[in-house]
Amino acid sequence: MHSKNDKKPSIIWFQGLTCNGNTHSFLNLENLENLLNKFEILSHPSLPSTQDFNSITECTLECDIFIFEGTYDPLMKRNDTSISKIVKYYAQKARYIIALGSCASFGGVFKASAPERNSGLLFNEQEKSGPLLKYESKVINISGCPIHPEWLAYTLSMIEKRREVETDSLHRPIELYSTLSHHGCTRNEYFEWKVDAGAFGEKEGCLYYKQGCRAPMTHAPCNKILWNEVSSKTRVGTPCFGCTEPDFPRKNLFSTKTNMSIPEDIPLGVPKRSYLTMAGIAKTFRIKRLEGKLIDYKTAD
Amino acid sequence: MITKQLIEQIEGEASILFDMKNGVVDFATISFPHFRGIESILKGKNALDALVITPRVCGICGHAHLMATVRALEDAYKNAGYPIELSKKSKIIREFTLTMEIVQNHFKWIYLTIIPEVAKLSNSTREQTPLKGAYAASIASKAIAVFAGQWPHSSYMIPGGITTDPTNLDVLKVESFMDELIGFFEKESLGVSLEKFLSFESCKDFKILNSDISFLENSLIDMKMNQKGFAYDRFLVIAKHTFTKPSKLKHTRPFSINAKYVNTIDSYSPNQISYAKNAQYKNIFYETGPLARAMATNFPIVKNMHRRFKDSAYSRAIARVFELATLLQHAKELLVQIDISQKSFIKSVDISKITAKGIGVVEAPRGPLLHSVNIKEGIIQDYKIITPTQFNIGSSSKSDPTPAQKAMKGVTKAEALFIFRTFDVCSVCTTH
Amino acid sequence: MAKLTKQERRTTIISAALKLFSEKGFYITTIPDIAKKVGMSVGNFYNYFTSKDILAKELIIYISEYLGKRIREINDKDISTEKKIYEIVSMYFNMAEERPEMIEYFLRVYLSNREVFEDGCEGMICVSAFVTEMMMFFDNGVERDELHNQDFFSAFGLFMGYLGGMVFLFGEKILPEPLEWYKESISQNIYNALKKR
Repeated sequence: MHSKNDKKPSIIWFQGLTCNGNTHSFLNLENLENLLNKFEILSHPSLPSTQDFNSITECTLECDIFIFEGTYDPLMKRNDTSISKIVKYYAQKARYIIALGSCASFGGVFKASAPERNSGLLFNEQEKSGPLLKYESKVINISGCPIHPEWLAYTLSMIEKRREVETDSLHRPIELYSTLSHHGCTRNEYFEWKVDAGAFGEKEGCLYYKQGCRAPMTHAPCNKILWNEVSSKTRVGTPCFGCTEPDFPRKNLFSTKTNMSIPEDIPLGVPKRSYLTMAGIAKTFRIKRLEGKLIDYKTAD
Repeated sequence: MITKQLIEQIEGEASILFDMKNGVVDFATISFPHFRGIESILKGKNALDALVITPRVCGICGHAHLMATVRALEDAYKNAGYPIELSKKSKIIREFTLTMEIVQNHFKWIYLTIIPEVAKLSNSTREQTPLKGAYAASIASKAIAVFAGQWPHSSYMIPGGITTDPTNLDVLKVESFMDELIGFFEKESLGVSLEKFLSFESCKDFKILNSDISFLENSLIDMKMNQKGFAYDRFLVIAKHTFTKPSKLKHTRPFSINAKYVNTIDSYSPNQISYAKNAQYKNIFYETGPLARAMATNFPIVKNMHRRFKDSAYSRAIARVFELATLLQHAKELLVQIDISQKSFIKSVDISKITAKGIGVVEAPRGPLLHSVNIKEGIIQDYKIITPTQFNIGSSSKSDPTPAQKAMKGVTKAEALFIFRTFDVCSVCTTH
Repeated sequence: MAKLTKQERRTTIISAALKLFSEKGFYITTIPDIAKKVGMSVGNFYNYFTSKDILAKELIIYISEYLGKRIREINDKDISTEKKIYEIVSMYFNMAEERPEMIEYFLRVYLSNREVFEDGCEGMICVSAFVTEMMMFFDNGVERDELHNQDFFSAFGLFMGYLGGMVFLFGEKILPEPLEWYKESISQNIYNALKKR
């Protein structure tokens, strides 16, 4: 065996304009230690690291995987060093570049702090025009605000095992982003029969018609790989805000944009005419079981 | 001689310029460089969108931001003549998830921030276990996520209540996470039962322990942190919660307070770029956070500690440990009070009917977090955020230093850096 | 005479039935009446439609698809929403003049004898093709920023109720002028009522 292959892949986790949300989400990973043991962490915003931050910003190190969290602002400095210098240096050195979170992938929430210059590493929203265009083939986008820890763990493990991570046209791993966050939603039956949630705070009803849920238009396995292993936004009655897509954050997140009561955006890939035909007919059948409360608790008073 | 020190592995990045005299810090200025402009991002948006945007101020205390937003919006509803009604259930669940966010924060601070620093400063050979903090925090996050859908970055609180409608199945699951977490805390952190720990009356009681927490306590004493790191001995708690109460304390004397007297002033950090403003109450600096909250609630052992060691770095650090213990117990008590048959959400008028100002105040892990919003027909005209770190770790002039600047004076640079971290720094919040 | 295909024969039955139902009424018209009108035996008729109720439902689907197809042709045109309104009104009035039985059937049978349609033809089921196209029309009008964004049924009722009312007046021979004469003003009225404010 080549000794070079025995060496653990090294990681530099570096931050642009960020809230640290991906860092903290990653710390929730089950069996975090097992994953970390497979890598050499040269630098991380909160975990023990083998290098101090000064040596990172001096740009003299090598690393296998460069993880970038946050929006890329070309004028930003870390430790008095231009971020564009640092990012380009490690982009060239690393075998893989992981744009972690929607900020690093597409610009995300903090793109709006300087929209004319801020972007993701490879994409500026939908447009492929970020600063790492030259290193396109190395870039894996793990979008999400924040990312689910397992999404990153999957990507890192695939790299560590030298398996190819297939990606979609937005450079996101297909195995994570091929499904919609609608898939596995516990409210699916309400969607099928077009029963909308009358209000927030209810177990019953689909959030797509009034409450702004983007799950049928959003690539993310949120209802397949559950958050914190226990739940998801739609399961607790919060609409999906489409945080894994390049247009996040959209406007009016708690209401569905409709044209004369007709949802402007309809489930991905479904022709509007077909959707309306199906929806109109499904709505005709009033299913008693789906109209009432699932559970009727006896109130104490 | 002036030297610059970069502070990382906090929430975000900060740097301190030390002016040293005779080997000790004569004056220090602090800067937080990475401005993100959340307040201006919010302008022109639907006011409800703030429930999604403001949690993104901070990855470690986004839930506090969510609650500050929902309180600010509900205050605006009230001021517009449409008072919001909340069920007891929704209030308790909100309080529970906020409590658990503070819990995960404190676990991380203990294991990922302060114990490693203690070990470094005292050349300890004790085995480092930072991942204990991540593990405990992940259990706390699971408990939050059962109600809030996920942590970080949930938006499950909305004006009128919460989006979730839990069953007993959910409550039982959360209770079992609490048992797991408390069991972990007792076995791995305290070395004694939670009940016993909370009945400690003096610092001497730590002597019976041989655990991570006693290592922290003993080391702080060895490092003489009970004689260093003093701020103003003035404390501020602004928000109302089940676990603390609003109060302004000068030494131990409490006074009533009103959030409207919070003011901000420009920070002073020559030769460094900083985007943080300093926060004060009636033009005076106060310390906020766990020590302040314990003083406000007359928590016996912290009061006792304070009697002996005042607002030293020791008191500040140990108060955070005790707050963690108290909150774990408090969270369990909250769960028992949940009546699932109550409504989760009580509908009010549409946000587009609201033209008003509103203020929301929350006790975040590091102290009071204030959001104020001005809404016109449901659209945000103006949004202002004041974070706890702006109270504690502002950068002011030598004649009127902030609590952190004052606490770092007169000690070595290494000690000053340690003391700095006893405030639990959140740079990302500060540079919202 | 060339032999009709089964499909053509079916269409003939539909036309004849529409005429009879709208002239004589649903309950008075019998299957032998219809069979006689198309010149087939009652036995053979049942090869096409197994009951009068099923025929009644097929008729409404037929009308809905007929209307839907024509509105879709208008929807697919690259013209303003204002023009589309004129074209829909025009198409509807032409149909009322050329094939009055279709609209008569809709108004006098479908809307007046709900009990016939409540099993298997309720709500959107039989009129889906037509309503869907109207949804497409409204959705597009709002998306193009030409129509005011409001509740679907408020807009739909205004549009179709107005047209239905005019055709009713026409059928009752109350209108002093031919329908053609009203196309322009009615289209304008509908547009003014629905346009972006």
